[in-house]
Amino acid sequence: MSKIEKALNRARGEHRHQPGTGPDSAEDREPLRGTALVPEPRGELVRLEDISRMNQNDLPLLDAENLSRHGIIYPQLVDDPAVQAFRDLRTKIILQGQGENGVILVSAVSKGSGSSFVAQNLAAAFAFDAANTALVVDCNLRNPSLHRLIEDPSTPGLTDYLENPDLDLSTIIQPVGIARYRVITAGRRHEIPAEYFTSAKMRRLIDSVRWRYRERFIILDGPSMSDIADIRILSELCDYVILVGRYGRVTGAQVENCVKEIGGKKLLGVVFNDEPRIPQINWRELWLRHWRMRPSGAGG
Amino acid sequence: MMQIHPEQIARTLIKEAFISRRVVVGIFVLVNAVLLATGLTWPKYFAASTTILVEEKNIIQPLMQGAAVATDVSGLNRNASELIYGRRIMDRIMEHGGWLDKHPSAEEQESLVEGIKKRTAVSNLGKNLIKIEYRDTDPERAFRVTQKFAELFIQEGVATRAAETRAAYDFIDKQAREYEAKLAQSEQEIRQARGSNLDARPVSESELSARLAALNARIETTTMELREAEIRRASLERQVSGEADVTAGITREGQMRSRIGEAQARLDTLRLSYLDTHPDIVQLKLQIQDLTKGLDSERQRPNQGERAGRGEMSESAMNSPIYQQLRRELSQAQVTVDALKARIAESQRLIREEAQRGKGLRSGDARLTDLARDSQINREIYQDLLRRRERARVSMSLDDDRQGLTFNIQEPATLPQAPKGPRFWQFVFGGLALGILVPFGLLYARMHVDPRIRIPDSISKVHNVPVLATIPHLWTPDELKDLRAEFPVLKVALVSTVAVCAIISVLRMVQAL
Repeated sequence: MSKIEKALNRARGEHRHQPGTGPDSAEDREPLRGTALVPEPRGELVRLEDISRMNQNDLPLLDAENLSRHGIIYPQLVDDPAVQAFRDLRTKIILQGQGENGVILVSAVSKGSGSSFVAQNLAAAFAFDAANTALVVDCNLRNPSLHRLIEDPSTPGLTDYLENPDLDLSTIIQPVGIARYRVITAGRRHEIPAEYFTSAKMRRLIDSVRWRYRERFIILDGPSMSDIADIRILSELCDYVILVGRYGRVTGAQVENCVKEIGGKKLLGVVFNDEPRIPQINWRELWLRHWRMRPSGAGG
Repeated sequence: MMQIHPEQIARTLIKEAFISRRVVVGIFVLVNAVLLATGLTWPKYFAASTTILVEEKNIIQPLMQGAAVATDVSGLNRNASELIYGRRIMDRIMEHGGWLDKHPSAEEQESLVEGIKKRTAVSNLGKNLIKIEYRDTDPERAFRVTQKFAELFIQEGVATRAAETRAAYDFIDKQAREYEAKLAQSEQEIRQARGSNLDARPVSESELSARLAALNARIETTTMELREAEIRRASLERQVSGEADVTAGITREGQMRSRIGEAQARLDTLRLSYLDTHPDIVQLKLQIQDLTKGLDSERQRPNQGERAGRGEMSESAMNSPIYQQLRRELSQAQVTVDALKARIAESQRLIREEAQRGKGLRSGDARLTDLARDSQINREIYQDLLRRRERARVSMSLDDDRQGLTFNIQEPATLPQAPKGPRFWQFVFGGLALGILVPFGLLYARMHVDPRIRIPDSISKVHNVPVLATIPHLWTPDELKDLRAEFPVLKVALVSTVAVCAIISVLRMVQAL
């Protein structure tokens, strides 16, 4: 381990502590261990430079509040059951892949099931581990969501890349201020999605991002199952399919139909999203704040 | 449908309640408000009740069995409510309850009566028990009115029964008088008919024919006896004529035969020791010869006698005792035959006489007979009516003395102490309980009706799809901020609802004290 790398790690760790609650997160120590004990999945060394390159951020990392606002989990939220759930999901996928990276298509049983939320947070959970990186590709061209993470809306995305042969792959892979986390946005044009996905260039894109870094997990944020044509094509490109059904929104029959459409082979299972949870509210603090607010008359 | 664990259901219910927390709190507040308002405006009613026992049987009935009819109360039992709700009692009640003090108009009175009817409940508890219950805002008036109800009901009941019995008596009495007049008239007519025809005697057809039949029967039996007597006489005559000859013949022949027998026996004995030439034997032979000759001549005699005629009956036959007896009997039979013949002739004469009388009856006495028959029938009916009238009189006096039908106040009305119906605290607690139960019940119902999945286990179990993960809601800072702002509002709504309920309850209690 080089001195530069240590310094880098330390700097990143400090950077991440900045918004968080303290240095008690287990994830903080993972990069060190990860870099030291990187497995050799295909008998070839993972170059440490690659990871360090991924760790390097062109952008300053987002703080906890920003992440929370975007609805993305971060390691400091250890007590949050949602974080636990995503970690659990991530572990299941890694076990399923037997150590190899994979392309995972996340699709919603019905519109509004929150498949983008699941895709982004699953990617975040992968990125918790310093040994892994995650790339989210926004394939939901009709209803894209990843561009919200990017500040510049004119940044080229997937459709731009597929249409413009001059565009380099590296220009569309965007950092968003989360360590080991990259995105490809939907891009500016999204008229006839099915034709983009059937193109050979799309397949090449997936293959190249997949084989370029062995520790990278690619997550396709797919459209809902109502766009069954897109889903068929995308499921050809991916290794696993995850279905997202939202609490109190989907019926058992809908889920069953979707499962039939996809077929048993690639389907990993259903993620039951957005189960209601009563947040832990510090009532005493709330009460005190309430009282304090009243006499002053000003918002606290 | 798969079996869901109750704990899971409870958890899901809480989650659902949390999601629709505003609706839940809203329903809670609303239900409480409605029930509180209902409780406050619920009229306080005081109820008084009285039970009246209508006795059908009493000591007097078995004693007067057959002589008097006790009034049937089953009808009264059924008609109790009609009687009580009747205008007659209602008017008295209005007067007694003080509703008429303000001199209400006829329409107002009508509505007052309707109100009283609505607050009065008449029920038959058992076969003979009538319960009258009356509710009023004023306990004192409730008591008074109920008491008056019982009093009036008994009064009216007795009066109705008495009137009924009197009407029955009057009717029977009238009938009896009518028949009395009829009877008097028919008797008068009979008397007139007798005056015009002094001989006329009411003889009925049946009487006459009965007499004729008896006479005919007597003739028949007498004729039979006569024939018997004649046969007897003929037989006796035959016997008397034959007996004389036989007796005479038998006496001489017998003597001869015995003498021949004796001689023959001696001859036989002698022949054992002597020859036929012995003088004794010869003598005997001659003797026998003579005797045989005499016997023969004797045998010839009856033929001679017959030829000579009856007149020549021998002395010996005339003296025979058998002959004497036969003659006696014969003369007796002759007497009997003569007597019977005379009797038949008399009977026939009587029949002729009766037939003659019958002819006269049909013509002259028929009217008198009709009159007599009518009078007889009228008398029978009249007597029956007199008996009935006496029974009715006794029944009437039974009712007058309140012996036939008794009304007993089994349970007198009492002054109600506490208001009836739901109490205020029941409304308050009911509101609190319903405020919780109603929204949760609705959520539970929705959970059962709505096919959308709320329990992830049901996907994996029913549809056999693996559930990879259940992601709880991730609260964003903005959402939490909203929630923090929302919670106190909901809390204030809940607390103030409960507080209002409590304060009003306390106020009400103090006021009640």
